[in-house]
Amino acid sequence: MIVAFVATISFVLIHLAPGDPFSAALENPNVTEELRDDLRRQYGLDRPLTEQFGRYAAQLAHADLGWSFSHERPVRAVLASALPNTLLLMGVALFGSFALGILVALVQVARRGSVIDRLLDGLSLVLSSMPDFWFAILALLAFTYWLPIFPVGGAVDAVMHDSMGFGGRVVDRLRHLALPAFTLTILAAAGVARFQRAALIDVLPADYIRTARLKGLTEGAILRRHALRNALLPIISLIGLAFPALLTGAVFIEKVFAWPGMGLTLVSAIGSRDYPLVIGSVIVGSIMVTVGSLIADLLYAYADPRIRGA
Amino acid sequence: MAPLRFISLFVLAGVVACTGTESASPPKNAGGTLVISTPGDPDVLIPALMSSIQAGQITELVYDHLADIGDSLTIVGDRGFRPALADQWSWGADSLSIAFHIHPNARWHDGNPVRANDVKFTHAAYTDSALGSPARALLGNIDSVTVRDSSTAVFWYAKRSAQQFYDAAYTMLIMPEHVWKGTPFSEWRPSEIGKKPVGSGRFRFQRWTPKTAVEIVADTGNYRGAPKLSRVIWSISPDFNTAVTRFLSGEADIFEALRPEHMAEVAKNPALRVATFTSVDYLFAAFNLRDQTNKARPHPIFGSRDLRRALTMAVDRAAIVKSVYDTLAKPALGPMVRAFATTDGAQAQIPFDLAGAQAKLDSLGWRDGNGDGIRERNGRPLRFSLLVPGSSKARVQMAVLIQEQLRQAGARVEVEQVEFPTYAERTRKRTFDMVMGGWHTQASPGGARQSWGTAGVRAASGSNYPSYESAAFDASMDSALMELDFAKKKALFARAYDTIIQDAPAIWLAEPKAAIGYHKRLRTAPMRADAWWSHLADWWIPENERIPRDNAGPAAAVPAARPDSQKTP
Repeated sequence: MIVAFVATISFVLIHLAPGDPFSAALENPNVTEELRDDLRRQYGLDRPLTEQFGRYAAQLAHADLGWSFSHERPVRAVLASALPNTLLLMGVALFGSFALGILVALVQVARRGSVIDRLLDGLSLVLSSMPDFWFAILALLAFTYWLPIFPVGGAVDAVMHDSMGFGGRVVDRLRHLALPAFTLTILAAAGVARFQRAALIDVLPADYIRTARLKGLTEGAILRRHALRNALLPIISLIGLAFPALLTGAVFIEKVFAWPGMGLTLVSAIGSRDYPLVIGSVIVGSIMVTVGSLIADLLYAYADPRIRGA
Repeated sequence: MAPLRFISLFVLAGVVACTGTESASPPKNAGGTLVISTPGDPDVLIPALMSSIQAGQITELVYDHLADIGDSLTIVGDRGFRPALADQWSWGADSLSIAFHIHPNARWHDGNPVRANDVKFTHAAYTDSALGSPARALLGNIDSVTVRDSSTAVFWYAKRSAQQFYDAAYTMLIMPEHVWKGTPFSEWRPSEIGKKPVGSGRFRFQRWTPKTAVEIVADTGNYRGAPKLSRVIWSISPDFNTAVTRFLSGEADIFEALRPEHMAEVAKNPALRVATFTSVDYLFAAFNLRDQTNKARPHPIFGSRDLRRALTMAVDRAAIVKSVYDTLAKPALGPMVRAFATTDGAQAQIPFDLAGAQAKLDSLGWRDGNGDGIRERNGRPLRFSLLVPGSSKARVQMAVLIQEQLRQAGARVEVEQVEFPTYAERTRKRTFDMVMGGWHTQASPGGARQSWGTAGVRAASGSNYPSYESAAFDASMDSALMELDFAKKKALFARAYDTIIQDAPAIWLAEPKAAIGYHKRLRTAPMRADAWWSHLADWWIPENERIPRDNAGPAAAVPAARPDSQKTP
């Protein structure tokens, strides 16, 4: 149902946008209007929109996402090569951002009101307000040009990768993953830290915390064993929300770091008006978000017996 | 080679950038990897279908023309052309046919010999409507191609023309019939065959990872000699800034689209060099001469030649070009570039004269009656929009400067910055007042007939988007293109250019130079204005300046010796 709705909406929206897949070569005088018309005919883009949609829906019913104009390959094949890269990037960023965000929140709450707390609070506010692409460009300049410790972009070294041994290839992949994952992690961690800090502060006045203090537990132990466990429940909900946010962030991050994932594929597809690829990317993206929300719901139910019992 | 049939030959202006002392004698040992940082993926790797710059670079290195155009870009007759796939050619007695003899040692990269049938097949493919080659329109003068024997293909022409040799020898890259046989033309574009090209050039295709990299490697046994570089890799970064950074950080050896703002950064790095040379591009702000709502009527503002001239006078083109490009461009002269020998660098222009423009507008009845800074006539304010693609920083900057300069003349310009597909769609449909346009011309000045001639307005396939129509311009262009005497030809072109410049269908803005950044360890060959990569097979890297990536990869081995029977032309 969701897929059908998303496919319909994205089909209509992308076809409403001016231009078509064959408008890119406008300033090449050899690519004539006649030639563009021939290509439109060849790909059925000269047919009425309702007919095009009917044909696309029939394809989709057979799990066929169509043919990518810009890659000259089936959309399924294009997405199959991009999806693992995005899942890897998002997986690392998801884990990293929650681990880092929670750690920062614990430090802040443990030193509540101190200079460190205020500094981290300000930093997380700045980072969570910062546009993804801008931070990505700054990171790119800082760590590939001014302090060249990471490669500029791509998933692997396009020149050397094939001549490396297995270990070298793994290291090469990790080096290329580091900067985009770091960028996405830092930006997402800032939001997690703010959220987690607020959640921790909410549970601190609770009776069980007071009881723990009366039992003589240290503040660190109270935070880790009692406050954090209870303050994690809202964070699990945040995982569901983080999926679409990370996917959106990945669109910009992947473009800046030339990371060959779903985001880069989608941006390129929109620019070249590759209708089937745009719709296919949106469908896969929506499935990812749905699955992410489902996982968050299951985790929530697992963590909170009240939900399981309801 | 047969004697030339043309009375006069001419050469386009000297446009080859020599990169100084670095083009020294070749090294003893070939090898090395060249990495080109680029923001674009090739569209297809099928010569007859490609239209992107990256695809042009790759296919021209993997495939061969029948003959290579000389560095001076001579396009009349065969003077200056060098043998490539054809080792010799002969003209028919009436100059209506040319027979090309295929080099006896030419081989496809799969080992099969190149035959005359491949030439005939290539022509059939380029001209087939089902395939839809962008180059099809350029081959209209070739009636047919026949095979005299397995090594000789004969081109037959409908009429004599100044560039008929160029049409046959350089417009097409010869493709292998045996590879494509059995694949209908309509299925070429999506075909897997097209993603693994088999050519006859000095480099052979190795791999293409979409949006990531394309690699070609030395064809060590090539009939024209092995290239000096072991491999060439296009490293693709879809974001322009990332592509530049890849070059500046040393991950790539070449970046071919440096902008003025990069020059200081390149200058600071002693390992980097810049080569600048005349390109074949020109940019303009065109007026739409037709009413957007009713194309049969002239545009309510720009239908007036005098008004267009007045607005042109109000724009200080030299200042705009200096401000946007610094030294990396010159003011455009008209619908041509200085690289053409037929271009007169002193071609008369409508001069910048703000006071004169204001007086002219006054005399045309455009006056600021209500003191709001905008002129009006018969209740219509002098207000219009200027369409510009947001993807081009230079065009956006020029649009803003034009906006300000025309404001001083009493016109209100709204700059409409849109994404490229929208820009393309509106330009094609002629739904604009003014548009910031640009043309990447061919080696021939004849392209202006397509872009600014009447046929380009009326034909369904026309690309004269501003809808400029002038019988005088058309006639002068046609005469110039047919004329074989260089002095007369140049005079006819000058007359055509004068007509269009004085009619002012556009404000001719800039003729940007190509600025290529490259690493100093590269020893380059001359870079041609229309294709800097044309001599890439002769670039080399001294052994003592090589870095690890030069010695990596499947083709890093020293090129094998060619059989004794193979001789380079």
